[in-house]
Amino acid sequence: MANNYRPQKAKIVKIDAMSGDFKRFRFILDKKFPTSKEGTSFVPGQFVLAGVWGYGEAPFGIASSPFEQQFIEIGVRRVGAVTAALHNLSEGGEATIRGPYGNGYPLDFFEKKDIVMVTGGCGIPPIAALCDYVATRRDLFDNVYLLYGAKTPDDLLFKDRYQLWEEKGIKILLSVDQPTPDWKGSVGLVSKLVDQIKINPNEAVAAMCGPGPMAKALENILRPLGISDRRIFVSEERKMSCGIGKCQHCTTGDKYVCTDGPVFNYDEVQGNWD
Amino acid sequence: MARILPKSKIPKLVELLSKKRLVYAPQKIEGELLFAPVDPSETDGVILDYQTTVLPPKALFFPPEENLFVARKEKIAETNPPAEFVVFGLNAKDLAAICYLDEIMSKEPADSFYLKRREKAALVAVAGTKMGTAPGGDLILEKAGDSYQATALTKAGEKITRLSVFEEGGPTGSDPSGSNPTETELEELLADSELLAQAVAWSRTSCPEIWERLGKQCLGCGICTYVCPLCYCFTAEDRVDLDGTTCTRCRRWDACTLPDFATVAGGFNFRKTIKERYYNWYHHKFVRAYKEFGRSQCVACGRCQKYCPAGIDIEKVLVEIVDAFQKVHPERRF
Repeated sequence: MANNYRPQKAKIVKIDAMSGDFKRFRFILDKKFPTSKEGTSFVPGQFVLAGVWGYGEAPFGIASSPFEQQFIEIGVRRVGAVTAALHNLSEGGEATIRGPYGNGYPLDFFEKKDIVMVTGGCGIPPIAALCDYVATRRDLFDNVYLLYGAKTPDDLLFKDRYQLWEEKGIKILLSVDQPTPDWKGSVGLVSKLVDQIKINPNEAVAAMCGPGPMAKALENILRPLGISDRRIFVSEERKMSCGIGKCQHCTTGDKYVCTDGPVFNYDEVQGNWD
Repeated sequence: MARILPKSKIPKLVELLSKKRLVYAPQKIEGELLFAPVDPSETDGVILDYQTTVLPPKALFFPPEENLFVARKEKIAETNPPAEFVVFGLNAKDLAAICYLDEIMSKEPADSFYLKRREKAALVAVAGTKMGTAPGGDLILEKAGDSYQATALTKAGEKITRLSVFEEGGPTGSDPSGSNPTETELEELLADSELLAQAVAWSRTSCPEIWERLGKQCLGCGICTYVCPLCYCFTAEDRVDLDGTTCTRCRRWDACTLPDFATVAGGFNFRKTIKERYYNWYHHKFVRAYKEFGRSQCVACGRCQKYCPAGIDIEKVLVEIVDAFQKVHPERRF
């Protein structure tokens, strides 16, 4: 009988401090995730439970390319006990990983469509994996946009990947709330960028992940663009103790974020009181 | 040939069962009725004529606290599987709850810690009246006059019926004796899980006054979830030895009515108020459970009502909700 709570060892081979309180961790796993026929080892939007013995586990969206065979990466904002314990580890150190869990973004449905990805702050990791997927299989998709907002230019994460994504024809629109003098991008809510997006709303999908203000972005960007709620895919965040639909911590309405999600059609979870 | 067990042989049966395995049976411990390990030399203390034990028998398969792993010097050790045991004297409702929990915990990805205990356990239910179709278990003993009629549902149950205390013989006299107690309103409601799901979901926005009132009445203590035979939420916790070399990951019962059940790191709470958390308890049992497993997660055992320090009676709450729902949807009757 499989023990679904047993984590595997994950060796930390690289840590990038990406902003004041955000680090990216690269792990080499004892036992690699199985690879699909397409050569992917997870679906962008899926998550892992990463942990440190003595501190517990918490869910993180996988941030590396799904085509990467050697390692996986997650982004961790230092915000609680588990994230602080991870931040205190060094390269060569060891953490634990369980997963991958959840559904991920519906990539088949995205094919032959325009994609608008919208995220903010530390919500970018699963979107980064999605960008990598799109960049690798670029011919399958039409116009692709990444709208990404953060507090300051320093808070924009995963900058080392932007060039690759742009080279592959992903139009990146950045925005910050508090610009520095050398900032050339846009200021304020990412919603101001809506005029620069050219899509066919009937053949477009949106992928979102991020904190609360994203709801505003949804109202101000995706609504004006005319993308229907059914085609807006949001990644939800909840507390989790098990990751396998048992512990009840992650429920929203009738759904389990861990097993039914974390990616939902917006109209599936819209209006849920919790 | 059918097997029967004279009522007077119950202590002897428990004694025989205790020879090879630990037997848990309802007994009075410091004045409270609990499923407790039987002392083979004192099997007279087993009580079979009872309403409910304080804690449900789920605690034998999903203990209030259990160690999942011990991590020491880069090695992860799993805790040892339990030895075989017997749960004797389950009533029909607790048996039904365990069978439902089996279904919940077996749903993939399965909960191996629960299932490993379940694999080691034989369930013997004892019914004061005719039980009808048993939901599961290994052996059913139904009272008929001065004897119990034995119905083995598994090989393990059949093996028990071959013990010397059992006699051959068909039903003594008539059918298992005793008339079934009248169904409570809650039991009647549970027969229509679909109606309960509709009514409870409807009540959140259509009868906010009910939830406002309950939100003020509920203390958010979590007792209802601990004593519920079908509540199974949990949290995981790491404990580290003083020298820092050994970490034990344990899980323990949680309760969705406790303040931080849905609080994520950083402090955002998806259910800030008792009202929201108390509603969620009903939503899980009667709405989400119906959508996930096709029926309510309640067996009308009455424990939550009996032990609620605020005196909330789930039966009355559900009757109130369903009455209100049916006034607006008169077509929706049983």
